Amino acid sequence: MKKFDEQATQSLFEKNLITENQFREIKEYRDLSIFSLNAELKLFLYLSVILFTSGIGILIYENIDSIGHIAILSLLLVVIAVCFFYCFKYSKGFQKEETTFEHPVLEYLVLAGNILTCIFIGYLQFQYKPFGEHYGLATLVPTIVSFFCAYYFDNRSVLTIAITGLAAYIGLSVTPQDLLKSNDFYASQNLSYSAVVLSVLLVLWVIYSRRISLKTHFGLIFLTFALHIASIASIANMNSYDTITWILFSIILAGSTYYFYKASYDYKAMSLYVFIIVYAYIGANIFLFRVFENIDFSDIWELLIFLLPAYFIVSIVLFIKLIKNFHKEISE
Amino acid sequence: MIAYDKKKIDNGVLIDEADTLYKGGFISKDQKKFIEKELPDLKSQGNILVRIGFFLLGCFLYLSICGVITLVGLSSERVFFEICCYIFAVIGFVGIELLATQDYHNHGLDDAFILGAFLNVGAAIAITTEGYEVIIALFVSVASLFMFLRFLHVLSMLVFCLAVTAFLFFGMFEFGDVGKTILPFVAMIFAGVFYFVTKKIIDHLAESYYYNGLLLANSFCLVLFYLSCNYLVVRELSAELLGVEVKPGTDIPFAFFFYAFTLVVPVIYLVKALKTKDRIMLWISFLAIAFSIYTIRFYHSVLPVEVALTLGGLVLFAIAYFSIRKLKEKESGLTFKPDRINHSDAILNAEALVVASAFGMKPEVKPQASPMEFGDGGFSGGGSGGSF
Repeated sequence: MKKFDEQATQSLFEKNLITENQFREIKEYRDLSIFSLNAELKLFLYLSVILFTSGIGILIYENIDSIGHIAILSLLLVVIAVCFFYCFKYSKGFQKEETTFEHPVLEYLVLAGNILTCIFIGYLQFQYKPFGEHYGLATLVPTIVSFFCAYYFDNRSVLTIAITGLAAYIGLSVTPQDLLKSNDFYASQNLSYSAVVLSVLLVLWVIYSRRISLKTHFGLIFLTFALHIASIASIANMNSYDTITWILFSIILAGSTYYFYKASYDYKAMSLYVFIIVYAYIGANIFLFRVFENIDFSDIWELLIFLLPAYFIVSIVLFIKLIKNFHKEISE
Repeated sequence: MIAYDKKKIDNGVLIDEADTLYKGGFISKDQKKFIEKELPDLKSQGNILVRIGFFLLGCFLYLSICGVITLVGLSSERVFFEICCYIFAVIGFVGIELLATQDYHNHGLDDAFILGAFLNVGAAIAITTEGYEVIIALFVSVASLFMFLRFLHVLSMLVFCLAVTAFLFFGMFEFGDVGKTILPFVAMIFAGVFYFVTKKIIDHLAESYYYNGLLLANSFCLVLFYLSCNYLVVRELSAELLGVEVKPGTDIPFAFFFYAFTLVVPVIYLVKALKTKDRIMLWISFLAIAFSIYTIRFYHSVLPVEVALTLGGLVLFAIAYFSIRKLKEKESGLTFKPDRINHSDAILNAEALVVASAFGMKPEVKPQASPMEFGDGGFSGGGSGGSF
C-alpha cells in the first residue's frame, strides 16, 4: 500500500499539482512510519465500558434477592462517585463550544458513570419506589442527569441516551432497532402525534441553541433523531384507513422533508440528506398508491409491469442529479 | 481486459490521494478542488449510504427488467423456466458492460448488476444440473473472477474467494468420509499456501489496479486459516457432516492440536501485525481472539456470564489504559497519536449509534404488568434505566 501511496504523491508532484515544499513535508511525515493505534485503543475503552456496565446490570438483576439491597446500592454509588470524581476533577468546566478532555479515558468514564447512574436510579425505583407510582418521573430523572452530563462534559454518546430517555418519557421507543418494529403507530394515533410534536420540539431546540450558539455541534444529533421519528411516524400513518389521517400525515411528511432538505444543506450533512430522499421517495410512492387505489387496473396490469423499468430508470436519473447537486453545493 | 479507461482510474487514485492529503492538512482546500477539477475520473460513490441507496435502486431496476421478460416468456411455460436464469444472467452482464461504458465504478448501480449476475449464474447452473454444488461453485467462481479482472470490482473478489472455498469443500465431500475427515487440514494448507501466493503477487505488483482485490484475498486466507482448525468449527462441523457424537469424558480426535491452534494462532497474528504494522491483520487478530474466547466459553463454563462480562470489561479497560499511557508520548512508529494520513476512526463515529441501541431507555412498563415482566424490560425497573 505504502508503495502505491508514495507513487501517487510523486505523480501529483510531477503534474505540478502540489508544491515541492508540500511534497517534501509529506515525504518526511511518511518516513516516520507512524502506525497509530488511536482508534483501536479508544474502541477498547468503549467496549470495556459496555461490557462492564452490562455485566453489572445482569449481576444486579440476577442477584436481586440474594445480596442485600443496601450493599448493591452503596457499591454502585461508590463506583459512580469514583467515575464522576475524576471527570469533574479534570474537566474544564462548562463551555458553550466543543471541548475535549486532555486524556481520552475520561470521556469513557463519563459514559460509564452515566449508564451506572441510570441503573442506580432504576434499581432504586424498583426496590424502594422513591417516586411512588409516578413512573414517568423515574424516566425523567435519569434523562435530566444524562442531559446535564452530555452538556457539561460534551459527550455525544450520553446525549443520545438522554434523547432516548426524553422520547421514552412521552411513550416512544426510539432506540434504532425499536424505531421500526416496536412502536405501534398504527394502533395509537396519540403516539404518532406525540412523535411529531417531539420532533418539532427537538428542531426548535436546535434552532434556539444555534441562535445562542450553545453546543452547535450537537445540532446534527438532534436533527437526526427528529428526522427519523417524524418520518417513520408519518409513513406508518400514511397507510391508515382513515382518509383524513393519511392526508394529514402526507402533509406532515412533505413539510418535514422540506425543512430537513434545507437543514441538510445548512449542516452539509450527507447522512441527513440521503435519508430525506429515501423517506420522501417511499412517501411519494405510498401517496401514488393511495390516490390510485380505487381505480381498477386489472385490465392493464401488464402495461404497468412494462412501465416499471422506465419508472426506475427515471428515479435513478433523478437521484443521481440530486446527489450531484448536493455534492456541488457542499463543496462550495 | 479492464473495461474502464486506465487514465481515469489513475486519476481516481490521485484524487483519493489528494483527499487524504487535504484531510491530513498537507494541502489546502483550493488545491484539492483544483486537482478534482483538473483530473477527470470515474463516477464512483464514496459515501456508503448513498452507495447502498443506489444499490437498492439498481436491484429494483434489475428485477423490473426480469419481470418484463418473464411476462413475455410465460406463454412458453416449461422451456422458459429452464432458461430464464441464463437470460437474467445475460442481462446482468450486459447491464454492467453498459454501466462501464458510462464510467460507473463502485457506484452502487454496478454492484447491483454484478451481484445479480452471480446469483443468476448460480441459479441457472443449479436448475440445469439439478443442484450439483461443485459445478455451481465452479461456475460462480469463474464468473466472479471475470468480473473482478474486467471491472476491478472488489466485492467480486470476495465472492470469488467464497466460491473457491465452497468448491474445495464440496470437492472434498466427493471423497466420502475420508475427505470429510481430513477437510480441516486440507483447508488449512490451502489457506496457508494461498496466503503466501497472494502476498508474493502483491509484492511484485507493478500497477495498483488489482491491489485492493488481492489484499482482500490475502486477508480472506488469514481468516480461513484460523477458522479451518478452530476447535468450535471443527467439532460442530464433524458433528454435522460425519455424525460424530462427543460423549462426556471423550473428545474429538486431535482435540489437543485444535485447542492449541485456537489459542496460538490469534496471538501469532497479533504479534505479527504489530511487528509488520499491518492494520488489517491486527483487526483480524482482535476478532480471532474474541472468537477464541467464545470457543472456550462455548464448551467450558469457566465463569457465569455476568462475572465474565464485568471482569472482561475491567481487564479490557486496564489493557487500553496502560497501552495509552505507554504510547501517548511517542512520535513515530507505534503510537497513540492520530495518524494524519490513514484515519481509521470511521468506527468511532458509529459509537453514539451503538450506545443508543444498547442503552437507550424504553417507555415505562405499566404497573399492571406481572411482576416478572416488570423487571424484565432491561433494567428499566418500572420505567427508567439503561437496559442491557
